[in-house]
Amino acid sequence: MINDFDFLQARSLTEALDILSANSDVLAIAGGTNVMVNMKRAPLETECLLDLSKLDELKTISEENNCIRLGAGVTFSHLLNWKPGGVIEDLMQPMCRAFAGPLIRNLATVGGNVCDASAAADLTPVLVALDASVELQSASDGIRTLNLVDFLQGVRKTARRKDELLTAITFSRPDADDCCFYYKLGKRKADAISIVSLAMIVKLEKDKVASSRISLGAVAPVAIRATTAEKILQGAILNDETIRACTEAAISDSSPIDDFRAGGDYRRQMVGVLVEKGLNAINNA
Amino acid sequence: MNTKTLNFSLNGLAESIEVTPRTRLLDALRSNLQLTGTKEGCGTGDCGSCTVLLDGNAVNSCMVAALQVEGCEVTTIEGVGKPGNLHPVQQAMVQEGGIQCGFCTPGMVMSLKSLFDEQTNPDEETVRVAISSNLCRCTGYTKIIEAARALGAGEVNADKAINKNGALGSRMTRIDAEQKVTGRAVYAEDVQLPRMIYGVVLRSPHAHAKILSIDTSEAEQIAGVKAIVSARDTEMDYFGYELQDYRVFAVDKVRFRGEPVAAVAATTIDIARHAASKIRIDYEELPAVFDPEEAMTDDAPLVHDDCSAYALDWETERSGNLCYRLEIDDGDIEKGFAEADEIIEAEYETPEAHPGSIEPHSSTAMPDANGRITVWTTTQKPFAFRSFLAKALKRPVSTFKVIPTQIGGGFGGKLFPCLEPYAVLLAERADRPVQMTLTREEEMYGTLLRHPAKVKLKTGVKKDGTLVAHSVRMLFNTGAFGLYGPNTAALASLMATGPYRIPNVSITGLVTYTNNVPCGSVRCPGGPQMAFAVEAHIDKIARTINMDPLALRLKNAWEDGDYTCSGQKLESVSMKECLQKAANAIDWDKPRQLGEGKGIAANWWVSGTWGTQSLIESNEDGTFRLITGTVDMGPGGLNSSVLQLAAQGLGVPVDSITLVQGDTDSMPWDHGTGGSRMTFTIGKSAFEAAEDIKQQLLEEAARDLEASVNDLELVKDRVQVQGDPDSHVLLSKLCYQRHKKHGGPMVGVSSVLDDPTPTTKKHPVGGFPAASFCAHAVELSVDDSTGEIDLKRYAAVHDVGNAINPTGCEGQIEGGVAMGLGMALMEEIREDKGRVMNPGFADYLLLTAEDMPPTQTILVEQPAVEGPFGIKGVGEPPTAPPTGAVANALVDALDLDVTRLPLTPEEVSARIRIRQS
Repeated sequence: MINDFDFLQARSLTEALDILSANSDVLAIAGGTNVMVNMKRAPLETECLLDLSKLDELKTISEENNCIRLGAGVTFSHLLNWKPGGVIEDLMQPMCRAFAGPLIRNLATVGGNVCDASAAADLTPVLVALDASVELQSASDGIRTLNLVDFLQGVRKTARRKDELLTAITFSRPDADDCCFYYKLGKRKADAISIVSLAMIVKLEKDKVASSRISLGAVAPVAIRATTAEKILQGAILNDETIRACTEAAISDSSPIDDFRAGGDYRRQMVGVLVEKGLNAINNA
Repeated sequence: MNTKTLNFSLNGLAESIEVTPRTRLLDALRSNLQLTGTKEGCGTGDCGSCTVLLDGNAVNSCMVAALQVEGCEVTTIEGVGKPGNLHPVQQAMVQEGGIQCGFCTPGMVMSLKSLFDEQTNPDEETVRVAISSNLCRCTGYTKIIEAARALGAGEVNADKAINKNGALGSRMTRIDAEQKVTGRAVYAEDVQLPRMIYGVVLRSPHAHAKILSIDTSEAEQIAGVKAIVSARDTEMDYFGYELQDYRVFAVDKVRFRGEPVAAVAATTIDIARHAASKIRIDYEELPAVFDPEEAMTDDAPLVHDDCSAYALDWETERSGNLCYRLEIDDGDIEKGFAEADEIIEAEYETPEAHPGSIEPHSSTAMPDANGRITVWTTTQKPFAFRSFLAKALKRPVSTFKVIPTQIGGGFGGKLFPCLEPYAVLLAERADRPVQMTLTREEEMYGTLLRHPAKVKLKTGVKKDGTLVAHSVRMLFNTGAFGLYGPNTAALASLMATGPYRIPNVSITGLVTYTNNVPCGSVRCPGGPQMAFAVEAHIDKIARTINMDPLALRLKNAWEDGDYTCSGQKLESVSMKECLQKAANAIDWDKPRQLGEGKGIAANWWVSGTWGTQSLIESNEDGTFRLITGTVDMGPGGLNSSVLQLAAQGLGVPVDSITLVQGDTDSMPWDHGTGGSRMTFTIGKSAFEAAEDIKQQLLEEAARDLEASVNDLELVKDRVQVQGDPDSHVLLSKLCYQRHKKHGGPMVGVSSVLDDPTPTTKKHPVGGFPAASFCAHAVELSVDDSTGEIDLKRYAAVHDVGNAINPTGCEGQIEGGVAMGLGMALMEEIREDKGRVMNPGFADYLLLTAEDMPPTQTILVEQPAVEGPFGIKGVGEPPTAPPTGAVANALVDALDLDVTRLPLTPEEVSARIRIRQS
């Protein structure tokens, strides 16, 4: 018969964690934009929806000792209006503008986007470039912290245990003189699903690259670090030769699929194009 | 399911309702609270028609669980403004003509309200972003953006918002604007009846398969199921327009993935879906064919055993999978090629596309006590649907009463009964009202699409640019059923020369069956396909002979007295004027920057076909009723220019005429809306009916005033003796005495027939009353590393003959531009072995407000010889040229070979790589 499920609205984080630990089959929703869209298509495979949208403690952004903490319930509109300055703002602002449209930005939360673990997620490449961690809480074990790249395990797969809630995303504020670049390639200007996205942070010391983090979206099961490309940059002078070698490495770091949204060849080619764009932009800045 | 109490604030008042965990906020509003101003266009958060304010923020109410809004403040369109007391945002939308079909309008108003709650004078970019989640298929966003600008600039006020000046050429406010902008217009899914239940169609999961057995026994046992129907218990016949090859249910075999096999009605939609999943059908898969060229080979699987057996009004040669073939020859093609200095050949390809109405199909059927059935539905052709139902289900036409509801966008998508027969059958079986609505996913394979086409062109040209020979092979893939395939090919053949004088022409049109989703008659059928091929080819010719593309067009463009390939003599030809104005609008002669390009494309189209009847009846107070069986699918011709023409014919103010619309029992017959005919044909009949009743009024007044009819004139509310206004009689008095004493109301009647215009050649389309001409030009830039195109500005020049309502003309053109640009840049149904891979607005992309370029619309008014007041149709033509204009601008920017649409970044990138290698 048609599946029946319950709906609970958590009034505090403690209550939410208790509900998660007491029930084996609970689906947490905040903005609801990933879950409700499926309501129309297929029966919801859960015994209980747990609504987190009233948990104000998850909706704050704070900074302490250069460490940023994004509450899981922060919406993309909130993120868009946040003005942290520097690299964070330069990455977050264009990402938020390219994220869905204003209606969904008013609902969708950063925690939801990370937990949904879509290969084409817009937020995760930026967070991976920021070397972010996720904070997971459960009634039994309290808080544990995982690096985001370890948290994201595959398409729609994360390291979150069923009794855990992703409560925050944390990352260090990059140095004031770090350079960055963000680009999302889609099929239209608004509300488009990513074909390839790129977020990169590069630290230049004199004319050499001291360190870099290059993250790619929609070209692997999860947002990835282009580690081979980063290695090529390490200590190198940012010239045409380095840029060419780095783009080729980034291409080999990616493993895109062929689907109706874009061919694998095109995605691979665009990884190179975007990385080149980014390095040139940083070099010319 | 367990219900819970939900307490929240709705439009400022406390609400308490019972909902389930499954109830979305949208359902709570529409079903529990009967607030139907909030619309459901997709249910997946991709269209914005369900936008409401949640604690002041605009959100998709389809993505919010009702129980999530406990304690929140929700504002819906019903809480924003009322007719007569509109919110400033609503006034702005009405004043600037930002409303057409009205289905996206409530959501659009909510997003704009949210924006203006925060800032008083947002810049254009901010406005575009604020409404970028709200898809609109009718307006091209241009007038909506203009509404926001006017509001920000303080140019909107209540007195100015509604223009009641009905003079010809006046920007009269369409009469349905207020009901639409306040969410009060009633669309098909808003129909609610006592005891109503819900139906779904069970569709084939295979592209081609034998049906071995159908077992409904398990589904029948499910509590709440009230009716199940399939081919085995339905009397059916083939139906269609010119070609009748479709039946309501698949019999013995299915021919496409999505073909209806059975239908179920139950007390809730969820139960109906669940029951449909429990109907067991054994299939034996058959080899299938998807490529139209392959379909014409000898060993291709046959989609229909004998397609030549199907009734078709036109003569043709049919066999195998060849659904229709057409040949047109003019002059001597071999001689033409012999005279040419250069011969240019290319093949062009356009994708399968979707009409893309934001309103999904929805129908409600109710049996009545005497065996008749009433059907509320969203249809462009209420009377044709009555005939369809009669033929399809083998009943007399009189069985059905079709009540057309507001149409939330048609574009040809609402010409075919994709739900009505099932709602009728289920309602009869269940003996209670049944409502059916397509999901957005079903919309993408359960309705008819735009034919994908391959067009081979071979054109001979002299060094000086004179076109001398043109050979055309067009191939349309009609999918599993022919339906409008022959019509599409026939119309496309008319467009095969473009608006150019070419003495020697040979055209072959082919329509093939495959196991793809069937295609239909989408706005300007065959037009964008041919316009892309011909206009891209003209630029290719220009490059070959090193001539400016505009100059080549001007050299060959039709003039008065030229003939179409069907042998119709053209009059009132404004092609050169349109081309020159479009070119000027984008500074054609100014040099381009690196990575930028300019493109131009011309087109022409036919207007004013098929019959109708209009009646104008007097009321006893001297006002009038315009009675027509037609419907307005959104553009507003019926709600503005037809009334303006009626008022002109009578000589009375437009607001003394009430537009009466109704059902097929009570209205005079009409062919329906489509084919760019509303103002041309229905306007003409309304004008003539008005003249008819005016004559009767003058005769009545002549008796009263003891004067000669020839000495009288009708002025506003009275008939008076010319030159002696004191000798007059009020219309109210005339009508009152006529009603009470002399045999009831006066009725003016006009029947406009499809009056064939002579042609020298035999062509299935035959002659048409008037041609319209247009040219579009675009300036764009392209990123040659990613392939992304950025449209800088756009100009659309249309000869409308006589702009009865310029706002309506411009609105249609801007919407057509958006639709054509969609085909040019992003719209494409992707089928993989008959499975639609992108069934929804997340992946079948329509232009958003951010994608629509700044667009200048220029109206040319060179009166048609045939049309009423020189009118030329404008509904379809603007859809065609954008494909060619964008392709040509891209070629201009990067010197590529562009032969395929849509020009996605990936496609452009592939073309760049081909050039580089």
